[in-house]
Amino acid sequence: MSSVAPAWSALSPALLLGLTGLALLLVDTIRPNERSNTSMAVVSALGALASLSVTVWFVIAGTGHADTGGAITLLEGAVKVDTMSLFFTAIFASVTALVVVAAHDYFHDHQRPAAFYSLTLFAATGMALLAVANSLAIVFVALEMVSLPSYALVAFLKKNRGSVEAGLKYFLIGALSSAVFLFGISLVYAATGSLIFGEVAGQIESLDTLSGVAGIGIVMIVGGVAFKTASVPFHFWAPEAYEGAPAPVSAFLSSASKAAGFVVAFRVFTEAFPLGASLAADINWVLAFGVLAAVTMTLGNFAAAVQEEVKRMLAYSSIGHAGYALIGLAALSAGSAGNEAVMGAAMAHLLVYGFMNTGAFLFVAMAERWGIGRTFEDYAGLARRAPVACTAMAVFMFSLAGLPPFAGFFSKYFLFMGAIENGFLWLAGLGAVNSVVSLYYYSRVVRAMFLDDPATPSALDAIDVRPTALYAAVVFAAVATVLLLPGFGPVIEAAEAAAAALF
Amino acid sequence: MVPPEWYLLLASGVFCIGLFGILTRSDALYFLMSVELMMNAANVNFVAFSLYYGDLTGQVFALFVIALAAAEVAIGIGIILVLYRNFGDIDVTVPTEMRW
Amino acid sequence: MVDAFAYVPAVVLLPFFSFLVALGAGKYLPKGGAFGGIAATAGSFLLSLWIATAVAGGRAYNETLYTWAAGDQFELTFGALIDPLSALMLVIVTLVALLVHVFSLGYMNDEGETGLPRYYAGLGLFTASMLGFVVADNLLMAFMFFELVGLCSYLLIGFHFREPGPPSAAKKAFLVTRFGDYFFLVGVVAVFATFGTAAFAGEGSFPALAEAALAGSGDVWTPGGLELQTWLTVVGLLVLGGVVGKSAQFPLHTWLPDAMEGPTPVSALIHAATMVAAGVYLVARMYGFYALTPTTLAVIAFIGGFTALFAATMGVVKDELKQVLAYSTISQYGYMMLALGAGGYVAAVFHLTTHAFFKALLFLGAGSVIIAMHHNEDMWDMGGLKSRMPVTYYTFLAGSLALAGIFPFAGFWSKDEILYEALVHGLNEPLLLGGYVMGLLAVPVTAFYTFRMVFLTFHGEPRTDLAADPEPVRWNVKGPLTVLGSLAVVTGFINMVPVQKVLGLEGIDYLHRWLDNEWGGIEGLSSHHYADLGPYSSGYIAGGEVPTVLVGAAVSLGLALAGLGLAWRLYNVTSPTEHTAKLGGIKDVLYNNYYLDELQVWIAYRTEDIAGGADTFDQGIIDGVVNGVSSVSLLGGSRVRRIQTGLVTQYAAMLTLGLIALLVLLGVNGGWFL
Repeated sequence: MSSVAPAWSALSPALLLGLTGLALLLVDTIRPNERSNTSMAVVSALGALASLSVTVWFVIAGTGHADTGGAITLLEGAVKVDTMSLFFTAIFASVTALVVVAAHDYFHDHQRPAAFYSLTLFAATGMALLAVANSLAIVFVALEMVSLPSYALVAFLKKNRGSVEAGLKYFLIGALSSAVFLFGISLVYAATGSLIFGEVAGQIESLDTLSGVAGIGIVMIVGGVAFKTASVPFHFWAPEAYEGAPAPVSAFLSSASKAAGFVVAFRVFTEAFPLGASLAADINWVLAFGVLAAVTMTLGNFAAAVQEEVKRMLAYSSIGHAGYALIGLAALSAGSAGNEAVMGAAMAHLLVYGFMNTGAFLFVAMAERWGIGRTFEDYAGLARRAPVACTAMAVFMFSLAGLPPFAGFFSKYFLFMGAIENGFLWLAGLGAVNSVVSLYYYSRVVRAMFLDDPATPSALDAIDVRPTALYAAVVFAAVATVLLLPGFGPVIEAAEAAAAALF
Repeated sequence: MVPPEWYLLLASGVFCIGLFGILTRSDALYFLMSVELMMNAANVNFVAFSLYYGDLTGQVFALFVIALAAAEVAIGIGIILVLYRNFGDIDVTVPTEMRW
Repeated sequence: MVDAFAYVPAVVLLPFFSFLVALGAGKYLPKGGAFGGIAATAGSFLLSLWIATAVAGGRAYNETLYTWAAGDQFELTFGALIDPLSALMLVIVTLVALLVHVFSLGYMNDEGETGLPRYYAGLGLFTASMLGFVVADNLLMAFMFFELVGLCSYLLIGFHFREPGPPSAAKKAFLVTRFGDYFFLVGVVAVFATFGTAAFAGEGSFPALAEAALAGSGDVWTPGGLELQTWLTVVGLLVLGGVVGKSAQFPLHTWLPDAMEGPTPVSALIHAATMVAAGVYLVARMYGFYALTPTTLAVIAFIGGFTALFAATMGVVKDELKQVLAYSTISQYGYMMLALGAGGYVAAVFHLTTHAFFKALLFLGAGSVIIAMHHNEDMWDMGGLKSRMPVTYYTFLAGSLALAGIFPFAGFWSKDEILYEALVHGLNEPLLLGGYVMGLLAVPVTAFYTFRMVFLTFHGEPRTDLAADPEPVRWNVKGPLTVLGSLAVVTGFINMVPVQKVLGLEGIDYLHRWLDNEWGGIEGLSSHHYADLGPYSSGYIAGGEVPTVLVGAAVSLGLALAGLGLAWRLYNVTSPTEHTAKLGGIKDVLYNNYYLDELQVWIAYRTEDIAGGADTFDQGIIDGVVNGVSSVSLLGGSRVRRIQTGLVTQYAAMLTLGLIALLVLLGVNGGWFL
């Protein structure tokens, strides 16, 4: 179809998200005095779904695939649409749709919820742009386009001290990280004289004395990526931001925003700083990612094991999962045929994670909507009052823990397997140990919901409403998590194909 | 023409001053200013090496960065405003309710 | 003619449908969905028999049925592998599951339990996952069903979730077995990484590849240039981790006694045919791999022998009926592991078969007693039930005789063969001989605690009002007991190797011939082939094979009778006491040697001391280690979380430090600063 439609139409998933954001502003402008929560939610959900369907259509039609003429480049090579970008755009659009639907119930009594929807859609646009970025300039602009609405979203509950504190910390760490990231880009520019990935890659090998400058720049870029993916040592914002933010925002950030960080990392480090050339220039970024992956998953899982609040536990678990996905960059070796397998597995893990983690946070959103507490004890006996939602939550928890036969098991399995194939037994082993730890805290949630008795008989009386949209979003995420079982074959194939195009 | 290494040194110096400011100041506005410094350090690099390579990309990108920095400050000021409303202060070390 | 093998998936799916039905519509069905479960397991049982007949007709089946996900280098497939071993196991599992379903009518429905749909759904899924595990044609599929089995046991053990005990027991079972399963998972990944396949049977299966690689033809991957034999041993031990957890072998056996908190029919299913059997079955399934690594075999044998003795001594001091049975299960699976480690593949499968029947029988018998006693399980509150519930008594007695290994009950034949294999192979292998000695020592202990249990429960005078007037049980309890009781008597005759060897009768070792593909099977999966692969040579004592057989059998039977006799002396009295000081009886003082009585009392005391010590060790050390590991992890976690101080300026500082550390690391690595 690329031969028929104009080339810019390859960007339509991102354009659709952006247009929806603008349309939301328009709706809000036309009816400024009304609380148009429902119409905003409907418009944004439709926009996200439209973007999702176009993306899926593109994937099926093979846009940007090697079989149909290869990747589509636009704007003098600064933008590149290929299978990987479509794969990740699908993640972003799905998570966005789930989040806006859930938000409809979450903000049922909020004064002016309209801004939430447009900010979410603009952030999603930024993410879609990140997925197609082929120049460090676009990467930075798109990254800021994701970050700036995110700061506002975290601090969205302006009268809630937790939300404001979270927003502040997220903003400060984010501003610092993006400054570091930008300086890294400037150093790479200084060393190579270009911002386009392909041209940077061409210069890396012939750096000579400038390899130190480029090296420092690349480490700083690793830092920027680590911030977006909530990896150690740039993770400090994550526990607070996820805990303090409105739960739909936490879901959005921990799933979509994290995936956005990874898509950048995958593309930048395969196309701008290819492994062989970087090693030749003495820039061993694989080692940096190896260290980050190990530290990140260990810190995330161990800290999650000792949390008292479910939401904060999920925040740390999200850090732990960033560590797993980093294996996709850490377990690479120059010229190895197994590289695409391990990176593809990391992509598939991010997709599965997108559904199960979003679902888990949306369940927390539902608990917040009911007004029951935040700790594990507060969830005791919940299954008796809300069996469907609790079953969905159990699916998320088991899948996050990587228990077979849930989808989370497959993605983790392929990931660890790929790492071993590439000779990184220690990373896979560490991942397995961490999975054992994670089982402990995930099963605590399930145990509380299904096996424990409520602290007082009246503790669960707060559950007096059935938030339909939240329920729908949670159940849909659970169904998707389950459907990814039989559907895991196509997913891993698409992911490996996407990764293969990068090497 | 000034050798490019000097620009690198200047930029690194400015960057480190900004970083120092972030590490030592607890006032949110100082924090914002320090971040501005760090970003402008990058801009120095972009402009200088744009000249050095005879390529306009760096200069154009520096303009982009300036715009983005302004947007970041706008969001930052907004957050500082609600910070003041909720905590009665703009000291970033005051909100420590969430930890561990 | 319709092909029996076309129905292999149906064997697995029927119980799965009963699970769905009980889950979805159990509320509206009579008996909470019990009949669906009975019909489904009966159907599976009939199909299994048909499949076994087909195997007996000289055929076998090894097909990939469904490709789940195919990646670049590995794929996940579902398939079915039907050979003599899996056909036999299918029959055992479906039969026991069927009887447990019937028995549940009496134990759960008639007792007015609530939540029956949940119960029958759990049973259905449990059976289905075990059957899926049995027919699995590759290690990964086996692993997935292995995990499902674990999950179901969690649901079923924690069935009475409103009481405090069961949920924590369920959690313990889940976590302990899962601990082993992680080694298993790493093992599965290692198998894939090494061989690129996880198929059990056929040309390109991993045991065949390992064999070829060891023989020098074929090339397989090993990490870091490790020697092939060493690496295979490591892989074997990793997979063994899962086996040790599921089959409740030392040191991961602690979950099993606690698991008695589940409903008794579930215990029967777990112990006889499903979860615990899964571990041993897995080793048998991939025996072609294990036979290649002598170190692994020796480890298996030693763990098995040690567990057999260790668990048996603990069974001696337990007061609750089901607790005694729990330790006996651990001990009996120890025997099977001993057999597998000693190269006695057939002996292990034989014991797995006989044990499935007599242990299911004992548990259902115990369930019957528990119904009668209104859910009081303390044996000291029973006594004299013999005349009040004769069907239960005689079937239970048959099971006990089998468990104790008394001629000619089923357990005698299988246990004797295990000890024989361990002896003849162990004469040249010190570790194996150690396993044999421990296995032999466990024989009298087993007989002792078994009959202590029988005498305390059924003999003597009723010690409480409950025991004097037990609640009657119905057909649905007596029926399964009768079937299993007959099987406990006769199953041993399928493999009368000692008789064959001593009398020279050819061809009565049916199980040997069955597993040796005499009727049908898959090349490379025969006991003969395994024996060729194995590292052992046979040695005989007393000058030849026949005397060795006779001496071995006589010694083990003699020891069993001695244990039985001791239990008889100590507990088959009107009012037995826990401390055996009053034993002997005034009438017998003149007849018996006084010092013998003293000795009996002394032995009883000492046995209790040792057993008590083992028990303390179990509770204190093993549990302590498990708890210790978890508390160290949690302590680590609480240290880690302190990094998150809440002060954003400190975050910035740590972030900068982290970045600098990365810069220094890569800089030094890449030599940028030179």
